[in-house]
Amino acid sequence: MSEFSLMLDENGAIVSIRKLSKIYEQGDTPIAALNRISLDIKAGEFLTLMGPSGSGKSTLLHIIAGIDRPSEGECRVQGVDVARLNESQLADWRNQNVGFVFQTFNLIPVLTAFENVELPLLLTQLARAERRRQVDTALELVGLSDRARHLPRQLSGGQEQRVAIARALVTDPAIVVADEPTGNLDSHSAHDVLTVLQSLSREAGKTVIMVTHDPKAAAFGSRTIHLEKGELLNGSP
Amino acid sequence: MTIGSFIFKNALRNKRRATLSILSVAVSLFLLVALQVALREITLPPEDIGAALRVAVRNKLSLANPLPARQLPIIERIPGVEAVSPFSWFGGKYKNEENMTFAQFAMDAKKLRRIFGEAKMTEAEYRDFEETKDSCIIGKITAEKYKLRIGDRITLESTIYPCALTFRIAGIYSGTIDDRNMLFHQEYLDEGCDTQGSVGMWWLRVKSIEDMPKVTEAINRAFANSSAEVRAESERAFQLSFISMMGNVKVFVASISSVVVFTLVLVSASTMSMAVRERLRELAILKAIGFRRRELFTLILAESFGLAMAGALLGIGGAYSLFTYGNIPKMTHGIFVVFEVTPKIMAVAGLVAAGLGVIASIAPSVSVARMSVVNGLKTLD
Repeated sequence: MSEFSLMLDENGAIVSIRKLSKIYEQGDTPIAALNRISLDIKAGEFLTLMGPSGSGKSTLLHIIAGIDRPSEGECRVQGVDVARLNESQLADWRNQNVGFVFQTFNLIPVLTAFENVELPLLLTQLARAERRRQVDTALELVGLSDRARHLPRQLSGGQEQRVAIARALVTDPAIVVADEPTGNLDSHSAHDVLTVLQSLSREAGKTVIMVTHDPKAAAFGSRTIHLEKGELLNGSP
Repeated sequence: MTIGSFIFKNALRNKRRATLSILSVAVSLFLLVALQVALREITLPPEDIGAALRVAVRNKLSLANPLPARQLPIIERIPGVEAVSPFSWFGGKYKNEENMTFAQFAMDAKKLRRIFGEAKMTEAEYRDFEETKDSCIIGKITAEKYKLRIGDRITLESTIYPCALTFRIAGIYSGTIDDRNMLFHQEYLDEGCDTQGSVGMWWLRVKSIEDMPKVTEAINRAFANSSAEVRAESERAFQLSFISMMGNVKVFVASISSVVVFTLVLVSASTMSMAVRERLRELAILKAIGFRRRELFTLILAESFGLAMAGALLGIGGAYSLFTYGNIPKMTHGIFVVFEVTPKIMAVAGLVAAGLGVIASIAPSVSVARMSVVNGLKTLD
């Protein structure tokens, strides 16, 4: 059992955000990327975050994923106030609880698809055989078992993104965050990737939080919230 | 996959840069080893027992000032002295060569075996040399260099005296610390050139190590306040003072070595910084998926250390192979003879490489540790 076991609040929310603000200093001018946002995300939900550039959607995603810290307010994920963890605890927490999918795939070019997926498991105590089993399962889930020995440059964009999803899933995290995962893909590949993310939510019970500009992509989610100038337009705690 | 294979693949991802980086470390360490070996050879103290019993006596003013030949009987009478021989620099040029390529000294041939007993020759060669006034003996290196054989005649034109002398080679010796020199009779020099009853310096052998301080002190005292005051000292002290006359070689070599190491640090640090800067987004991803600062530092350190040690293996190994199995006297035209790469020199060079690997990784590691995941990811877009 991991150090950070799955904990939900009384509403069944895996993510509970209260009066969350993020203020950046641009010279002497404070810029509010997020302004007193409150939001609950239920376990197994496929939430899409939409909004214009600079609306704060990526900042919100980063704070939920524990790679950025709020200026004010609280962000509890599985009962853990992420902002209170130190750097080392946050790293462990992310490894065990969050899977990341980025717009530009970000696979390590010198590693094969298998090795890229295996990367997060190198930080665990798992034996080699167990790591292999988990990587095989993750690659099978995204339909790329036959591409395990390929380097990223030998894969199409859609396949690279599916490898990135497999890497996000391999540690069996409760939450998968995806920052514009279809932004660099053609419509066919985008559809494949979104289908995989949707099935993660529906069939594997993962909580998927995705930032997107594309309403067609957002339609794959179970709920969409809109942000503008750091505030929620139609979200509810 | 293991962390080790991940580091290995990362280190070799840009093969050209990795190769150039390894080569720059290798060449610099090769140079460092060569400098240290050269310094050791120049300052190498004589270690044979004969050397411990030998005393050099030179003019107190400088080595260039001659000494009167009449000092000989006075030195010979000093208690503890076993044998004394003049030792006069001839400074001869061989054939039409512009510079002198090997040293020639005039001495008392009959004292050779007693004072410089380590020279290996046959009994017949020794006897021929001792008995024939116009004969000479030469070191094996010089003989091989000029393809000289016993019985050959060679003519040398002196740059010290206004004369040229022709010698017959009576023997070819080996086994000394420097098998390049030529030795001939002081008597032949006195007769053939106008030495005006002077010699270059005296070499003598004392009866025991205990006699050494008493003898040197007695010799110095014997000629104090004379027209040719002398400085008598052990062979080791003489060699060290002789080296110091050429300038502070140690400081010079140490300065060059420091510059080599410093440049190497800059090159390696720059290479590692470049390698890490190119990979900031990947390192941000690694941070995002759970790699902690110390794990990222380990990755960078191991890569830097690995490249430095690969360079060390190539550079130090190359120097060891070349200097151990190569013909150094031939390669250096007889300037260096032994050129031994000692374990100590290899260890020092290895430590320099290890330090280099660590130092080169510090700056990129600090920048990666300070980089937030979000800022690292921003380099993506």
